[in-house]
Amino acid sequence: MQPQTIWQRMLSIDRRLLYLLLFVNIVAFLVAPIRMTASISPPVQKFYDEIEKLKPGDLVMISSNWSASTLAENQPQLEAVLNHLMRKGVRFTFISIEAQSRDISYRLAERVTSAAGYKYGEQWAHFGFVPNLTVAIKGMVNDLPSTIKQDVRGTPIEKLPVLHGVKSLRDYQMVIDVTPSNTVPVWISYSPKELRILYCPTSVMAAEAYTYLDSGQIKGMITGAKGAQEYEQLLGIRGLGAPFANAISFSHVLIIIFILLGNFAMLMQRRYERREV
Amino acid sequence: MDWFTEFLPRTPERLSIWIGVICTLAIYSLLYRENPFYRFFEHMYIGLAAGYSLGPLFVDIIYRYWIEPIWVQGYWAWAFVVPYGMYLYFIFSERYGWISRIVIGTLIGASAGLFFQEFSSRYLPQLNSTLKRPLWISSANPDITGWDVFVNFLFIAILISVLTYFTFSYEQRGVIKRTAILGRWFLMIGLGAIFGNTVMARMALLIGRIYYLLNDWLMIRIGGG
Repeated sequence: MQPQTIWQRMLSIDRRLLYLLLFVNIVAFLVAPIRMTASISPPVQKFYDEIEKLKPGDLVMISSNWSASTLAENQPQLEAVLNHLMRKGVRFTFISIEAQSRDISYRLAERVTSAAGYKYGEQWAHFGFVPNLTVAIKGMVNDLPSTIKQDVRGTPIEKLPVLHGVKSLRDYQMVIDVTPSNTVPVWISYSPKELRILYCPTSVMAAEAYTYLDSGQIKGMITGAKGAQEYEQLLGIRGLGAPFANAISFSHVLIIIFILLGNFAMLMQRRYERREV
Repeated sequence: MDWFTEFLPRTPERLSIWIGVICTLAIYSLLYRENPFYRFFEHMYIGLAAGYSLGPLFVDIIYRYWIEPIWVQGYWAWAFVVPYGMYLYFIFSERYGWISRIVIGTLIGASAGLFFQEFSSRYLPQLNSTLKRPLWISSANPDITGWDVFVNFLFIAILISVLTYFTFSYEQRGVIKRTAILGRWFLMIGLGAIFGNTVMARMALLIGRIYYLLNDWLMIRIGGG
């Protein structure tokens, strides 16, 4: 039997070895204390500027619809945004159209707000899981208390000081949609026109959202972990965005190296075969 | 020693993390090869997800929006809503299948009505934004630079070529065909950008799980958050 060439061996490499290399690469760049400076992209800068325009006491609706599967992208985004909102002294409420997201976003918000001394009920609240976003938005525009009825802790909405005097979604200044799903078109379609919409999608959703950004239907966007890294940089905080973006960047580098090596080996093997003929 | 004591599943919280780790490793064991360990946890995951969704379905939907208004607030008319929705199941009956069409008709009517609002709010502003793009520098647009004009022309060229690609009402020949081919190239570039983002998103899923293993299980603190 003819011995394999080095190119053939490269082309028939066990894929599990590649998985292992990818795993080691991600672990290394998550743990390594590397701080790379990110250039701030215009959508992230716009997002930041819009929140900077808010005044203390303004009311923001956070639509949090992510679960454990997109934690690496949506958690750093949400943490960074909450930090900014609390820094501005803004009141905010959460809503989730995904059952798992209700628990995840509530626990995350409790941790982040308690560290900053924000009080539940007075400065923020969570409306829990609300099915069917279209119906929920239309209901909240008409009559918010009777649509939501009670918060995640079972307190009637009317008894929450954070919502004192709030009758409708029109009393809010902003909506921030943190999501891996295609929910932002629903907010654009059915929320009041005066409401500013900001968007925190996962990377896979971002490309489609540029049309809304371009037309001004959304005012700013944080794209995945990379966007979160930029936002943390703008805020001057150290969160999860930077290590996650590092790990993503270097795993991309590794994948590109795999692709280049694979293609190079294929070309060399073809050339070798032609020579043999 | 302190680390090891904390690491062990001695508290309910730590136990839940250990269970999460076992589930994660079991699911990722597929990368090595197909195995019964993976199959068991895959089925368990699907069952858990289905079971978990039942809780919020009852507490947050059925109870909050149907049972409570009827029993606590006395809106007895709501009692007819769920049976009306359940008429949909008559679709499985040959004799009474027509009853399901009443509910389907309601749903289609509501969706069509909602779509009017969606179209005007979602697509008209985009049309408006496209039509408002200045294609030359004038006193009416003092802030526009040469680069902006170039970008706007490019935008219009891409829009027209992509729309031409999706025009199937007549045979594409000559200039129309070349424009459509250009549109297809622009589409490919757009799809390439989406695919690049998809790779990034998939990598983020893996990073999320590895973060869980490192941060929650092995207690190696990552990031400042």
